[in-house]
Amino acid sequence: MKRCQAMEIKTDDYRVWTEESEIFFYGAMRLASSDAGAPIAALAASVLASNPASITLNLKDLHFLNSSGINLLAKFTIEVRKHPDVRLVVRGTPDIPWQSKSLPNLKKLHPAVVLLMD
Amino acid sequence: MTTLFGTPDIAIGMKESISRVRLFDGPLDLGWRHCATTSDFIADLFALRFRSSRNDYMEVRHSIGYLVNELIENAVKFRAPGEIVIEASMDSECFKLKVSNDVGGEDASEFQSLLADITVGDPMDLLIQRIEANAANPDVGGSGLGLLTLMSDYGARLAWIFSATDETDRICVETYASIPISQPTTK
Repeated sequence: MKRCQAMEIKTDDYRVWTEESEIFFYGAMRLASSDAGAPIAALAASVLASNPASITLNLKDLHFLNSSGINLLAKFTIEVRKHPDVRLVVRGTPDIPWQSKSLPNLKKLHPAVVLLMD
Repeated sequence: MTTLFGTPDIAIGMKESISRVRLFDGPLDLGWRHCATTSDFIADLFALRFRSSRNDYMEVRHSIGYLVNELIENAVKFRAPGEIVIEASMDSECFKLKVSNDVGGEDASEFQSLLADITVGDPMDLLIQRIEANAANPDVGGSGLGLLTLMSDYGARLAWIFSATDETDRICVETYASIPISQPTTK
């Protein structure tokens, strides 16, 4: 595994950063288009490119995500699916309603996703 | 001429007491940020009656906020210059919303062909198919995913009415939505 450089994307409304192969999301993310999500997609792609054994998406502090953002997570899940040796863990919380409603869809796209709602 | 897509029985109604928010184009310089502030405001307003239970409150506030945000985002993205009118009401079973705005003729036709595709079939299957198609071909764009997410993950029923306006190449779109709300538990 190549060493992964720490990265961060920060706006007034949300923050996304990496710690090793864990990607943390914080705040409320309302992306206007898939272009608006391009820097986040690039950040996630670079974590995948470092070829880790496992990638964790930590969403426990992401209070709001609009459908453009959910699509971004879905696309990344499909990307990881192309690497059967990489395990994808999605950490969420049942306290944030969009997560209980929409995160199970990721398992439909990639049944090997480990969804931890705790 | 009027064209209808979706569930006809929710396209009428809204006879109850209605709250109306009108987003004017000029002085506001209507933009993306107004989607969040307006939907949060409407969600706060309608969730108030659920505040006796923190769980109900959070759930209702989120569902209403999510629905209103997605539909206003669409209106802001695709509208022709002009105002957006948001009307909302809640009865014992559901929260109802109507968002009205004008769009250009070409956008109206494209939207209608999208609706013809996403209003027939199981929303969850359609959502997964569209996500896969979108990931396989990024040029396709994410169109329809927001509406399908509302239908599959929030149990939203949606309908659209397209009607002519006095101006050529300008169509009025009314988007109607209804989501089930469980009423506060009486103690």
